[in-house]
Amino acid sequence: MRRGWFVTAGVFLALFAGTAFLSFKLPLLDALGPGPGFFPLILALLGGVLALALVVELKRDPQAPAGAPQPDAEPFMPDQGALFRIVGIIVLLLAAFTALDPLGYRVTSFLFIVLMLLVLGVRNYLAIVLVALALSFGVFHSFYYWLKVPLPIGEFGL
Amino acid sequence: MVDTFHHLMAGFAAAATPTNLMFAFIGCFLGTLIGVLPGIGPAAGTAILIPLTFQLDATGAIIMLAAIYYGAMYGGTITSVLINVPGEAASVITCIDGHAMAKKGRAGAALGIAAIGSFIGGVVATVLLVLVATPLSRLALSFGPPEFFALMIVGLVLVTSLAGSSLLAGVLMTITGLLISLIGLDPVRGAPRFTFGIPELFDGLGFIPVVMGLFGVGEILATAEKPYREVIKTNLRGLIPSREEWNRSMGAIWRGTGIGFFLGLIPGVGAIIPTFMSYIVEKRLSKHPEQFGTGVIEGVAGPETANNSYANGAMVPLLTLGIPSSPTIAVLMGAFIINGLAPGPLLFQERPDLVWAVIASFFIGNVLLLILNLPLVGLWAKILEIPYQYICAGTLLFCIIGAYSINQSIFDLWVMLGCGVIGYLMRKLSFPLAPLVLGLILGPQIEKSMRTSLEMSAGDFSIFVTRPLSASLLALAIAILVFAAMQFAPKEIRDPNAD
Repeated sequence: MRRGWFVTAGVFLALFAGTAFLSFKLPLLDALGPGPGFFPLILALLGGVLALALVVELKRDPQAPAGAPQPDAEPFMPDQGALFRIVGIIVLLLAAFTALDPLGYRVTSFLFIVLMLLVLGVRNYLAIVLVALALSFGVFHSFYYWLKVPLPIGEFGL
Repeated sequence: MVDTFHHLMAGFAAAATPTNLMFAFIGCFLGTLIGVLPGIGPAAGTAILIPLTFQLDATGAIIMLAAIYYGAMYGGTITSVLINVPGEAASVITCIDGHAMAKKGRAGAALGIAAIGSFIGGVVATVLLVLVATPLSRLALSFGPPEFFALMIVGLVLVTSLAGSSLLAGVLMTITGLLISLIGLDPVRGAPRFTFGIPELFDGLGFIPVVMGLFGVGEILATAEKPYREVIKTNLRGLIPSREEWNRSMGAIWRGTGIGFFLGLIPGVGAIIPTFMSYIVEKRLSKHPEQFGTGVIEGVAGPETANNSYANGAMVPLLTLGIPSSPTIAVLMGAFIINGLAPGPLLFQERPDLVWAVIASFFIGNVLLLILNLPLVGLWAKILEIPYQYICAGTLLFCIIGAYSINQSIFDLWVMLGCGVIGYLMRKLSFPLAPLVLGLILGPQIEKSMRTSLEMSAGDFSIFVTRPLSASLLALAIAILVFAAMQFAPKEIRDPNAD
């Protein structure tokens, strides 16, 4: 878990270094005063110093800083079952976002709910189909027609 | 004061129209539902439900979203008492004595006193909000850009120093939030910044997809790590507390009201601190502190009252100064912005009809919540019987609808997912998310007020320290930061004389 803090501090450093680099390309000062690059540059420099301080503190003292996970903290990686569920959720979300425009909300959300419930361990197939129908076609009807919330229709008119 | 009374009466007239009453009711109902369902916090819940308000006028939309917010604060109690799982973070402390009461067969009394205490806390806090809103907004109208800059810095510093267990992590998250807010067109010159030629980034990253990702998708990914809880069946009887329980609760309710309201005025305190403080105060004042934890009704009445009083008190900095105190209030601020409104002192001048209707709706909402929570508590308990997998799948689907429908943009969905993964990882690493969200929503205003101030002074930074109010506020921010740094410092620095 502590290694996670080192990695995060490194990501912060990279983020702030990149921001500082990009800020220098923007006007820092102009005739009216501070330009578009001024505020991000100040933030990036401040953030960079603090991220460095975090790295130094993590290296210097295994108990520091207050709030950081201690060396005996629980492992960062979840167990295999949990990892399957987490990766499954992310993959299904990626697939749903890709399918949403071509397939439309109704078909995409029906498939999404069916597969999601299977990934999460539900095995009552009748309940899965009924819930998926309600959350896809039922929700579409309520949102699109009653609440006038725009949802994608898709190439097949669904 | 007469003016305030007239405005409030006009607000009641607007809030009590059948349409707005219905929006308040729907908001309270959905909010309670969000509070009841563990795993969906009020911030994500409020953000997810924003699309429901697209077809409403601004007043109806804000009334409904505010009702969702304080409804969620009510609803979190039910799961704390019945299944020892807080529906939202502020109800954590209620698990201790609330669930112990449930084990003794007094779940009904615990839920009853929580609902009554929440009602009293909510109503009294709204009265206090009415009393302070006008003078505070008038005072804020005298602020120039340097004062607003300093005020927002104080708000950010408070949030940062109170949000998590590490000050350094809090500050880094705040800066990240501020930097994310700068993506898009520069608010002063209109120059594109950090857009990498991607047209969707010209308007910046959407606040709602980011919040839904961090708090909605992130929370669901975190929950997916643990085995899903068993279905729970409960029996509820006797919602009205006994005379003895009532007598023991009254003091706790009034103290909880005061603690909640005054801590609600301070940006960054969050809803958890008032509830814990109320619990500690009750334990200290009790003749039998050793009984706390075994099912003492004061341990439910005080924190639950403080929770709801805080929810209403936290509206003061939002409505009068335009400063959100917590991620959920930041979502509400986002809803104001989506409706073309800027919360703050000018709103009292430009849209008094809306502001006072929303404030009046708080009174109505608290009555509605009492009705929803006492007779319908059995219904909420039944909802807990729905297996969590269905709730999880449904929540993800509503996140998709919510993030997509704001701009009808698939890009916003990718933003939501990216933020969801970041939110999950940050949760695992104990990096606080609240400072990031507050930085994200306050960033454009902080930059604008800073740059306008510097334009006023022809680039001279001393403008921030030569104006008394701005100088005082910045000194306060530094003092808070130094105090917080001392709290987080190693023991040998805090107390050099200690062995």
